[in-house]
Amino acid sequence: MMAIRELKVCLLGDTGVGKSSIVCRFVQDHFDHNISPTIGASFMTKTVPCGNELHKFLIWDTAGQERFHSLAPMYYRGSAAAVIVYDITKQDSFHTLKKWVKELKEHGPENIVMAIAGNKCDLSDIREVPLKDAREYAESIGAVVVETSAKNAINVEELFQGISRQIPPLDPHENGNNGTIKIGKPPSQAGRRCC
Amino acid sequence: MASRDAGVSGTAAALETRKGASIHRPGQEELYILSNYGVPGVLWSPAGEMSAWTMGARSLDKRGSFFKLIDTIASEIGELKQEMVQTDLSLENGLGPSETHSMVRHQDSGRSEEKDVKPCPRDSGYDSLSNRLSVLDRLLHTHPVWLQLSLSEEEAAQVLRPQPPGIFLVRKSTKMQKKVLSLRLPCEFGAPLKEFTIRESTYTFSLEGSGISFADLFRLIAFYCISRDVLPFTLKLPYAIATAKTEAQLEELAQLGLNFWSSPADNNPPNPPPPHRPLCSDGAAPASRQLCLINGVHSIKTRTPSELECSQTNGALCFINPLFLKVHSQDLSGGPRRPCTRTPSANGTERPRSPPPRPPPPTINSLHASPQLSRTAAPASMPETATHHQHGNVALLGAKPTPVPPPRLKKQASFLEVEGSAKTLTGSRPRPEPAAGPAGSAGGARTAGEEEEEAAPGDCTRAQPAAASASSSRSPWCGGGRQRLSDMSLSTSSSDSLDLDRSMPLFGYEADTNSSLEDYEGESDQETMPPPIKSKKKRNSSFVLPRLVKSQLRKMSGVFSSFLTPEKRMVRRIAELARDKRTYFGCLVQDYVSFLQENKECHVSSTDLLQTIRQFMTQVKNYLSQSSELDPPIESLIPEDQIDVVLEKAMHKCILKPLKGHVEAMLKDFHVADGSWKQLKENLQLVRQRNPQELGVFAPTPDLVDVEKIKVKFMTMQKMYSPEKKVMLLLRVCKLIYTVMENNSGRMYGADDFLPVLTYVIAQCDMLELDTEVEYMMELLDPSLLHGEGGYYLTSTYGALSLIKNFQEEQAARLLSSEARDTLRQWHKRRTTNRTIPSVDDFQNYLRVAFQEVNSGCTGKTLLVRPYVTTEDVCQLCAEKFKVGDPEAYSLFLFVDETWQQLAEDTYPQKIKAELHSRPQPHVFHFVYKRIRRDPYGVIFQNGEEELTAS
Repeated sequence: MMAIRELKVCLLGDTGVGKSSIVCRFVQDHFDHNISPTIGASFMTKTVPCGNELHKFLIWDTAGQERFHSLAPMYYRGSAAAVIVYDITKQDSFHTLKKWVKELKEHGPENIVMAIAGNKCDLSDIREVPLKDAREYAESIGAVVVETSAKNAINVEELFQGISRQIPPLDPHENGNNGTIKIGKPPSQAGRRCC
Repeated sequence: MASRDAGVSGTAAALETRKGASIHRPGQEELYILSNYGVPGVLWSPAGEMSAWTMGARSLDKRGSFFKLIDTIASEIGELKQEMVQTDLSLENGLGPSETHSMVRHQDSGRSEEKDVKPCPRDSGYDSLSNRLSVLDRLLHTHPVWLQLSLSEEEAAQVLRPQPPGIFLVRKSTKMQKKVLSLRLPCEFGAPLKEFTIRESTYTFSLEGSGISFADLFRLIAFYCISRDVLPFTLKLPYAIATAKTEAQLEELAQLGLNFWSSPADNNPPNPPPPHRPLCSDGAAPASRQLCLINGVHSIKTRTPSELECSQTNGALCFINPLFLKVHSQDLSGGPRRPCTRTPSANGTERPRSPPPRPPPPTINSLHASPQLSRTAAPASMPETATHHQHGNVALLGAKPTPVPPPRLKKQASFLEVEGSAKTLTGSRPRPEPAAGPAGSAGGARTAGEEEEEAAPGDCTRAQPAAASASSSRSPWCGGGRQRLSDMSLSTSSSDSLDLDRSMPLFGYEADTNSSLEDYEGESDQETMPPPIKSKKKRNSSFVLPRLVKSQLRKMSGVFSSFLTPEKRMVRRIAELARDKRTYFGCLVQDYVSFLQENKECHVSSTDLLQTIRQFMTQVKNYLSQSSELDPPIESLIPEDQIDVVLEKAMHKCILKPLKGHVEAMLKDFHVADGSWKQLKENLQLVRQRNPQELGVFAPTPDLVDVEKIKVKFMTMQKMYSPEKKVMLLLRVCKLIYTVMENNSGRMYGADDFLPVLTYVIAQCDMLELDTEVEYMMELLDPSLLHGEGGYYLTSTYGALSLIKNFQEEQAARLLSSEARDTLRQWHKRRTTNRTIPSVDDFQNYLRVAFQEVNSGCTGKTLLVRPYVTTEDVCQLCAEKFKVGDPEAYSLFLFVDETWQQLAEDTYPQKIKAELHSRPQPHVFHFVYKRIRRDPYGVIFQNGEEELTAS
């Protein structure tokens, strides 16, 4: 039996770094017409298989402008994962990313999975943020890190796969609760482990 | 005979069936069975079109206008006649003509024959009695016996082992977490029993491996009592249940529950009926016997023998065609119209005619033709009766002083047929043949003599009073549930058709649009309906008065909407229960609603008010899902993953609906009192004067026309009481905004662009009420929906309103006040904790305290501080939490308006906080635990503010 788990994922990062482009790329590639699309790009969903589960990402985009910063807690509250996006061609955006990480560590949900996406890697000739810096930083905070290009569809899938892998498998005793919907064939009770 | 004045015209309803994807067995697809008393006939319509006709009686009296409608229908239907087969008119009328035997006739001929019909008792009273109850009825009454969800596999085996082959149980497999059908096998199969998994989709129940699905468990079981489909043979009811002659007997058996199986009641038949009843498509006759049907539904027991005979002759019409059912349910649902043009038109016209099925209370002046005759009422007076059955009834009546119940059934049957709803099952005709054994009407035939059963599904409110008043043996409890079920179609609807009927509010709102609006109409329609008892009278009178025909139409549409899905029926059933103060649930709800309305002072804030309501709904849901007041149990009607959704809708209907006006008024009072109303008003004014760029908008914005459209949607939203429907309308607004932004450019806009535009649009709409609307939704929405699309846009709308409220101070690019951020956080925390621990005022019990040390700057902690905890106690707590070695040197300070105040030991920090929050203008304030000695580090604190506010 496949269980669908709904996972709230929030997108953080400066305005203009391509948060929504990444998600649009992720959601719209291999677009499944059977799934009702959402009304707009601020909130999108996509279901991907992970081990014996299906992960349905409920992706909450946030407005990156400073003036909306104060609203962020409402968006990241209850998230299973956060994708924090910076622009490899803008050092400032990497700095903002660090502020978000700090805020999430302090006030975000416990055990939130953090994924760092250095977007616009197709523009690496004008890069300001070395990949090494991002890797070291990510390692220090235990985050997934990947450089992406929403434009060229590079590493977008991988980013979300990385998140999926970090999501702890469902406690077998909680099957059927917490927004999990069972579908498909009768269970072989074994193997609820993901990855 | 009075009845003779009414000419009888047979009207036929043509029901169009489409081939449904859900049915895979060709043999069953097109099988229609007409079962008559002794003469069952099977009709085939190769074209996939089936017609059932009902007899229409034309009454010559004042109700003429009514019949014009019928004539219209009849003429429309006439074109389909070729396909139609007429059953015995006499049967339908309740007269038993011996000739009817002949079976299928053309409508034209039927009419004349009708008049000729003489009651001719065909079989012994015993046989008819024993078969009077349909399989579905038997199942409904005795679910405590066979529906044993908590039974383990071993226990089930124990129960079934001594039973003959074909006996079954339904239990829930803990291993699979699914319901299973445990079936006793004959010896030659090797294993003593086999389990068949019951698959529950979002909309239907079906057996694993079968393509036929059912709206509920009862229908599923009833079907498999008649047709084996994927089973090795058909199911068999225990002998005692199969042969019970009255509902009272069934009740007795049901009382035994699991003990039934070990009790003497479960004795085996002398000659067990053969378990195998293959339903062969062309073997119509045998099959038809098992499916019983219709008509003369009334309880024979109260009648004299001669009456019984008459009623026996009533023809039964039964058809089972899942496809057919499906198509019709769609039509009824008002969902997207299907291509079959005729059916809908027939429906429309027919509606006025069909009465709510409920039996009127006996005392009511039945003379005027309430569609539902109580048994005691004179049939002739009823309009409906007149339409279809007057003829037969009158004859009966003339003979006997006792009222003849059948009219109502007939009418019902007729309208149902016309409607094409699966419900045709209505009148169960007693089966003459005992041999048929367990077979009843597959379609949910009703037992004769039970007024309640006849009641239309939507109308359950009537059933209860009727039940109470009825002298017959029927037990009151079964009224609602049974009615509902009997009204239900044996539907094998495919999921696709059902999708349209049942939509999930937040996802797929487009599809939902229609249904939600319908719901809304239906609801408002319902509002016009008086409580049960009154409604009976009203309905009766409305039938009498032609000018009320229109309203009757409206009501009928309400009744039909109840046919739509088990979900809607369940919601309705719960809503009825909520109005019935004889139930615990009804008392609970009624008392709470009136308590809230009468005690305005008991809530300190709008959030407090909404939270207690939310909590109450959650608790009541828990109660309902565990209590036995819902009978039959909700699990047997609603697939498991939908139970919570259905209960939530029911809560909205029975709790929020009556409270909506009150809650809105209260919310507004609170907002006016705390100044936020005025603040929002002023700031809206201010923000409206800004141009979009000043608000950070860099995408196309809606023009005046679009803003008007949006306002209309918002106003519609205000009329809804269900938070989910409100959210759906909010989503439509957001969708419209996206459409404008994208402006066919194909560009996708994320939150960076959307939020500013949303803020701009909300300001342009200039609707102060949005603030309370958003609050209502945020606090009352089902917590499970908060993470979805609805939750997202609700959050964004709240954010946009917060930006507007704080616009004056913040101006663009400024942070929200810490208070607003605090509120946001608290809200989310509350709503998310609510899911597990429904604690109403958790958030009010916390206090954020900063700890300021000379060397280490500022750190903050959130402490559990109850409202009546003094500053002294908080200081102790802080000393502990911050590990202060010399607590006497520290105290709690309030930093507000750039000034420091040391709090006295006997003050209450939570009260101070509440006071600050209630000030009209938001104040930035912090509770700080620091050294008493004045020190120069206030500066440090200010630098540290970012940290504090971010928390």
